[in-house]
Amino acid sequence: MEKENRFWQIVFLSLPMAVFVILIIWPLTSSFYYSFTNWNGFNSDYQYVGFDNFIKILTDKLFYQAAINTSIWMVAAIFLPSLFGLVLALLIDSSVPGGSIFKSIFYLPICLSAVVVGQTWVWIYQPDWGLMNTVIGFIAQEKFNYAWLAKPDTALGSVILAWSWQQTGLSMVIYLAGLTSISEDLIEVCEIEGASTWQRIRLVIFPLLTPATVVVIALSVINSLKGFDILYIMTGGGPFNSSDTLAMHMYNESFKKYLMGYGSAISVVLFLIALTIIRIYFKQLKKVDEIYG
Amino acid sequence: MYKIKIRNLIGAVLVGQTALFGAQAFAETKTEVTISHYFTGELGLGGLKEIFSEFEKESGLTVKDSPIGHEDYKAGILVRAAGHNLPDVISYWAGARTQFIIDSKSLRPIDGMWAKNNLDNVIAKSVADGATLYDGKRYLVPFGYHYAGMFYNTSVLESVGVTSTPKTWEEFLTLCATLKSNGIDPIALGSKNRWPAQFWFDYLLLRTAGADYRADLMNGTAAYDDPEVVKAMSMWKDLYDAGYFVENSNANTWTDASDKVMRGDAAMTLMGTWITGYWNGQGMKPGEDYEFFPFPTIDASIPDAVVGPIDGLVISADAENVEGAEELLNFMVSNTEAQAKWANIQGALSANVNVDQSNYTSVMQHALATINAADTFAFNYDLSTPPPVAEVGLSMFAEFMDDPSKMDAILERVAGDAASAFKN
Amino acid sequence: MADIQLPHGTGAPSAKPFNPWPVVIFIILSILAVLFLAPTVGVLFSSIKTTKEIAFGRLWDFPTSVYWGNFADILSNPSVQGYFVNTLLITVPATVISITLGILNGYVFAKLPFRGSGILFLVIISGMFFPPQVILIPLFRLFNGLHLIDTLWSVIFIHIAMGIPICTLLMRNFFATVPNALREAAILEGASEWQVLTKIALPLSLPALAVLVTLQFTWIWNDFLWPLIFIQSDEKRTVMLGIVNLKGQYSVAWGVQGALSLLASLPTLIVFLFFQKYFIKGMTMGAVKG
Repeated sequence: MEKENRFWQIVFLSLPMAVFVILIIWPLTSSFYYSFTNWNGFNSDYQYVGFDNFIKILTDKLFYQAAINTSIWMVAAIFLPSLFGLVLALLIDSSVPGGSIFKSIFYLPICLSAVVVGQTWVWIYQPDWGLMNTVIGFIAQEKFNYAWLAKPDTALGSVILAWSWQQTGLSMVIYLAGLTSISEDLIEVCEIEGASTWQRIRLVIFPLLTPATVVVIALSVINSLKGFDILYIMTGGGPFNSSDTLAMHMYNESFKKYLMGYGSAISVVLFLIALTIIRIYFKQLKKVDEIYG
Repeated sequence: MYKIKIRNLIGAVLVGQTALFGAQAFAETKTEVTISHYFTGELGLGGLKEIFSEFEKESGLTVKDSPIGHEDYKAGILVRAAGHNLPDVISYWAGARTQFIIDSKSLRPIDGMWAKNNLDNVIAKSVADGATLYDGKRYLVPFGYHYAGMFYNTSVLESVGVTSTPKTWEEFLTLCATLKSNGIDPIALGSKNRWPAQFWFDYLLLRTAGADYRADLMNGTAAYDDPEVVKAMSMWKDLYDAGYFVENSNANTWTDASDKVMRGDAAMTLMGTWITGYWNGQGMKPGEDYEFFPFPTIDASIPDAVVGPIDGLVISADAENVEGAEELLNFMVSNTEAQAKWANIQGALSANVNVDQSNYTSVMQHALATINAADTFAFNYDLSTPPPVAEVGLSMFAEFMDDPSKMDAILERVAGDAASAFKN
Repeated sequence: MADIQLPHGTGAPSAKPFNPWPVVIFIILSILAVLFLAPTVGVLFSSIKTTKEIAFGRLWDFPTSVYWGNFADILSNPSVQGYFVNTLLITVPATVISITLGILNGYVFAKLPFRGSGILFLVIISGMFFPPQVILIPLFRLFNGLHLIDTLWSVIFIHIAMGIPICTLLMRNFFATVPNALREAAILEGASEWQVLTKIALPLSLPALAVLVTLQFTWIWNDFLWPLIFIQSDEKRTVMLGIVNLKGQYSVAWGVQGALSLLASLPTLIVFLFFQKYFIKGMTMGAVKG
């Protein structure tokens, strides 16, 4: 029996693990290797430069800017869609008429790609005739032509808004699924016990939604790491690098300045940051597991 | 079509690379030349396709082209070069960018083909050596070249009663003030993709500090916080502070800015001659609806210089069909009909001395006369300085256009950034 | 369910006067829905307007006439047809294979655990959280060495690999809910693990497959980064690269870009609508249990 299990373990795992090791683990390790070289992407005669690239990171102002932007991006891109999604799910779950139509409308943006979403929101933010400025101009009754994406103060925030618009639907669907699984009996008990709506949400629904939140957060993290696409389309990290994230910065250094070695060093830092996030996530996951089995 | 593609894919995986190499060995007479270029819609793609089909008729070869948008092209072509994955022929900007990919051994010299077709007698001397010769070898044929000038909407200038274009800086400032007081934005600039702003830097520096100083700055012997650079940037800043630039230039592309001038919302834009190709395509008439004047003189003691890029064609080091590629390069530059056609459609100047200049529009003849009268023809900023430095500088221009009041801090920082970019 | 309305007062249900809350919520949702639809409507408008209309700033005006030229342009453009074929040739195999590999992984981690399998599982799913850019450069070099740059294979392979973590996670969670007794009984009757997997575990896990098909198809179809780096020549471009590149093929391409955007979004929409019921069920049953 043991032997037979071992046989099937090997048969089942060998292919997926081979792919995973060759295409994920191996490149990950070689990123570490290149980060200690001055490879420019073309020449094979690059040198080992020790910690030079990492020392350079310490003095790279664009790196700091990108690191701050990445933190803002990660927090906002995880928090905002999750929160909006939860609110929408609670509203729709109140058996409002037309619930399934609303659900479809809010889910629709998920089916669109970052490229399409980015392009559309560029039109929304267009300073002269974009929807945003037209509406603001209409309300304020005077011409308004602020360039949302071309100003360093608002470029990143504007992209985050577009991103949240797109991602909200996914967390809404998951929260809705979570809400349906909460037993109706439990809700009825609450009513009989005379709990107020807020009490009911806070004390019963929220805790029971924890597993759904775990999934929402996981998917949000995965998706927000894919945020490169929408940034590339909407601002390209601009204006003048003000909306660069670490991923964007790495792309620019590697593929526009041809400093592949330095780009790899940025990747390594990015990897270490991701590792921290993973650790936090699994810690929370374990807690949840202990409580909810 | 779908089926064939799947079969190709399966075939490729089953037979693998060996078969591909084998096939190459057998295919002695190759009939296909692959080319990648950045001449997309607004830059004359339609005309280029016609020229390719002429070449196909004449040579019996087929041209397989992949146009890629200008901005993606810059990164994309280098990625392909890194992968030894370049097509036979690529279009490229003469100057520092070409030098950069030659340094990375991605290009193939064309001395043999140059001599065989006697290109010395075909290509204008003024363009030939600066653009085609790198490390003592020929690498590039100039397919067309451009000149950056102040293009304006004639009816807008007439509407404010201006009959003669400014020659000096004072006259230029007067023109701007007149336009402004008539409620017209004097200068349109679309710096979203950064590069359109570079011509301002180029000309202000050339007109105040001269071509020699500029060359020093481009090769790293001068610094961005030198008084020369500060002076040029301050003059740029004064224009901005006076409200002479359209708002939100960082939100617009060069075609957005051209549209503003075309519609008459703005009066002029400092742009390369390819704008004539774009405007002609939009139905504007050269000489009647638009014209240009050379960037005004600031210091009469400094020799006149003009700025522009040269679009070249180069052969990749890994070219599979070298003979076909050489044939294509020769055709593209030597065939006077193709050159004339391209000059007309794209709004380029031909580097071929045999091209009849009377084919040019009046505006292009004006441009040619301006270039010939100038003491120096310089490549524009991002073709004069190595690409990593150009990245720093182009971002600087966009940052400056966002808030010129931070000029001193920007220059101080860029001086350091540029110096370290030179070291890489 | 119908009589549960939110929020609910503390009063006795029988003495219920007119409850304004459903109306308020309906109005709030309607306003939000309009806001949510606006960007999508923008794409729709752009696709049926002429470039000139858009260039003169009339994108957001309600269309008075419909211009079909953008769609005609797109549909008659042979490169665009190629973009769709390429994207399909990437998305379908990458989706199917990544899910298959996830099934194999998930089954072992759920039903055939071994010493260290817990750690291995964690290593694999941590792959979900890495920004793909981290491995961009080495992958480029690897694929380059294998002459896979500028082929669809490079994009297929990377999507298979990048899909393994999420597919493994979901399949393991789902298989964990399949009672062990079922498997043991089948094994006692002489079934192999392969048969248990295909005949018992998989049929019970269809909702999870629906979730994965929806997610993977959407992600891969919409992906932009990998084709941007790995694909260079026009005839191998995906739809998303195509949309961005249309900018270059016409002088100003808003209308055609809008039209292509709309067409490019249809497949993911269809996949979602098709799997919607199972998708939500899958999310409730397996995925949500963490």
